[in-house]
Amino acid sequence: MEVLELILLILATVLFPGVVFCTYYALFLEWVDRKFFARLQNRVGPWITGPKGILQPIADIIKLLAKEDITPNGVDRAGFVGAPFFALTLALFSLMFVPIASTSGILSFKGDLLIVLFISTVFGIIIIFAGYVSASRFSIVGTARAGLQFVGYEIPLFVSAIIPALIARSLTLKEIVEWQIAHYPLILCFPAMIAFGIFIVCSLAKLEKLPFDIPEAETEIVAGWATEFSGKKLALFRLSTDLKMLLLAGLATALFLGGPAPWGFTLPADLNPYLAALIYSIWFVIKTIIVVLIMSTLKAAFARYRIDQALRGFWRYLTPLSLAILILTPIVAYHFYW
Amino acid sequence: MRLPARFSPELLRHVPRKPATVMYPFVPVEAPEGFRGKHEFDIEKCVGCGLCARDCPSGAIEMVPDERTKGKKRPVIHLDRCLFCAQCEESCPRGAIKLTKVYEMAGYKREEMVVTAP
Amino acid sequence: MSEERMFRIPVGPQHPALKEPINFTFIVDGERVVDVKPRIGYNHRGIEKLMESKTYIQGLYLIERICGICSAAHQGCYAQNIEEAAGIEAPPRGVYLRTLIWELERIHSHLLWVGVAYHEIGFDTLFMYVWRDRERVMDILEMISGNRVNYAMNTIGGVRRDVTPEIVDNALKALDYLEERTKYYKKVTEEDDSILARTVNVGILKTEDAKRLCAVGPTARASGLKVDVRRDDPYGAYDELDFDVVVYDTCDLTARVLVRIDEVLESIKMCRQILQNLPSGPVRVKFKRKVPEGESISKVEAPRGEDLHYVKANGTEKPERYKVRAPTLANIPSVCEMLKGGYIADIPIVFAGIDPCIACTDRMLFIDVNTERKWMWTEEELRMYARKWYKKHLKEVVRERWKC
Ligand code: SF4
Ligand code: SF4
Repeated sequence: MEVLELILLILATVLFPGVVFCTYYALFLEWVDRKFFARLQNRVGPWITGPKGILQPIADIIKLLAKEDITPNGVDRAGFVGAPFFALTLALFSLMFVPIASTSGILSFKGDLLIVLFISTVFGIIIIFAGYVSASRFSIVGTARAGLQFVGYEIPLFVSAIIPALIARSLTLKEIVEWQIAHYPLILCFPAMIAFGIFIVCSLAKLEKLPFDIPEAETEIVAGWATEFSGKKLALFRLSTDLKMLLLAGLATALFLGGPAPWGFTLPADLNPYLAALIYSIWFVIKTIIVVLIMSTLKAAFARYRIDQALRGFWRYLTPLSLAILILTPIVAYHFYW
Repeated sequence: MRLPARFSPELLRHVPRKPATVMYPFVPVEAPEGFRGKHEFDIEKCVGCGLCARDCPSGAIEMVPDERTKGKKRPVIHLDRCLFCAQCEESCPRGAIKLTKVYEMAGYKREEMVVTAP
Repeated sequence: MSEERMFRIPVGPQHPALKEPINFTFIVDGERVVDVKPRIGYNHRGIEKLMESKTYIQGLYLIERICGICSAAHQGCYAQNIEEAAGIEAPPRGVYLRTLIWELERIHSHLLWVGVAYHEIGFDTLFMYVWRDRERVMDILEMISGNRVNYAMNTIGGVRRDVTPEIVDNALKALDYLEERTKYYKKVTEEDDSILARTVNVGILKTEDAKRLCAVGPTARASGLKVDVRRDDPYGAYDELDFDVVVYDTCDLTARVLVRIDEVLESIKMCRQILQNLPSGPVRVKFKRKVPEGESISKVEAPRGEDLHYVKANGTEKPERYKVRAPTLANIPSVCEMLKGGYIADIPIVFAGIDPCIACTDRMLFIDVNTERKWMWTEEELRMYARKWYKKHLKEVVRERWKC
């Protein structure tokens, strides 16, 4: 029995819902994002590779993997080579905590929400590190912007992720999800829905998507911190960006949308575990796609802000707002939810 | 009035709409009447006067010997030099050169990029 | 801080923001631009010299290729110029059609620019929409002239093609659609917060500066200068048309966007007037290939500003000298002024704000900064100079090259 469980755990980590599933699903989400974004812009988007271009993100990654990999003179070699691997590994690792095929992630322990949030903060630091070691003018400007933006979005992101935990009175993702199954998705609760909005906006900033793609603003500073990366390293960075998108969408799902549990009915406790896993993952897919579609719509509706304007927005509006909700939540929750 | 995302209603209106993209190489696109595309040359009408070659701004027309015309010459139009201004059509006194609606004329060899009489 | 310690960012000649080969060295302090040094000349193509070896008829198609976007402006200006030198006059219908093409071209050029401006500030959705709608005006142009970009419509003595009633109908319909859409874009530009955040008070060019630095076209009109060749020195059919010169006096990027959008609306108005009141008659008169000795100058308000052509004829089939002063060149000093003191993030949009066309601009002109002497060289002189210079500096150059 012990052995079987171990094998199942390894299978879960590697295949489903672990590394392989997450990678392909993240690429699929990129396709959803690109396709919907194109639709909003009255274009067709990816179209040739595979039916409706569904294989395009994979093709992009393969193409980049096959390209010449240049390490420019003057970069810090170890850091330059290490940064993309580090980014990818961290993204995959943090996905292990996200509940996908059951109410808990593959890894789950008391207070794992904090670990996930902490790892997601490390992403920002890796970006700054990657830009810093590549010693190019565009990278340095991009890094400076990435750093500034990082300081801006990190606090509201953190606070808005803590609010569901406050209402559910637990810092464990599993328990937050189970609270929502027992009650209702947290997005329906009063302060948490505002937190959801803040979370989405900050996710856009974290993912460096419009209107916050300031650190890699194509028309201004080439590719910002990523300018010097090419070939395999760029492929890994792109993959890690996709995984980050999946992570944030998954976190939003787990924290606000009731996790992978279906809406409208609860699964009977004695259901076949494999069937339950299937139903859970289908709902996970549906909910993450909804989050990604919201992000795409926001992306299409704005122009890029300037770094000072973005920072002013974060510090003047989002941070105070999130802190206000943080204070309000226990009061409201005490009266209505606990 | 200054509004954030003033644009979103228009955006959402586009969700159900068909994309404006023309799927060109898979769906043929017809050029309008009077398009200046690949030439058509009629040796029957040509008198070999060489006026087309004289006025061609890019030197795309070469006159080669040919017994069939009065001037013992016929034009060879090199499409890879041509800029499709249709001046040759305008200069030709006999209407021997006509520009057609054909615009797909890529080729692998320079020899393919030629319009002339056989 | 001394200048050496500040950070220099080279932008161009290859840079995703500037799609044409021009090089700026920006000296920045954090996100602020302290100084700008432009360098032009990457795209010198020797068109003026080549003009001297082409007949007047051939020159029509060469001059058109100075610039893809304002091809009709250049070609029309050329045709007008040679007509004046040769002493012939285009018939009224020809002049009207010529003006129609000019105005349609202005619509397409300004819409293109508005799209690019949105793209530069990262608003790709509007960029896609504007360019989609611009296709309509491209279609009209293609229908009338037989090509989307280089229309080859003008000839010396008139225009080369006539329009049919169907084309007029179609064009009027497309103009209605364009008017509605352009009004919508105007409204969005005036109201959307994220656009205004990036354009209000950005890239200021004060009225005095615009005057001092000789800005032309929409750039000048957005700075409150009421200059427009169409009104100041009417040519073509402009003295018979009813239109306003659009002027904004906020001197910033919003003004530059709005001036162009409003000009599109004015152009649509003019195109309607032309299409509805086309005089009858022939569209061209005969041109006898040779131009008598003499000189002539012609000015046209191209979409980017005043375009000036000069010809010196010597009685043969070919010009002795042809000179073009395209509008972007006149606006380069202004753009340097606008960029100073701004943010790095604003560089692309401010630079795009003058609607630059580097291909038009690059001419061979040497300016010795120390003595402010300007001179021009013929090819032979240049070759001699190069030979001499290399003889003197060969060793250093070789050493330099092998070092790195
Ligand atoms: S279309 Fe113009 S460039 Fe082409 S062959 Fe005729 S005259 Fe020459
Ligand atoms: S094609 Fe026309 S212009 Fe050319 S040689 Fe023949 S008749 Fe003369």
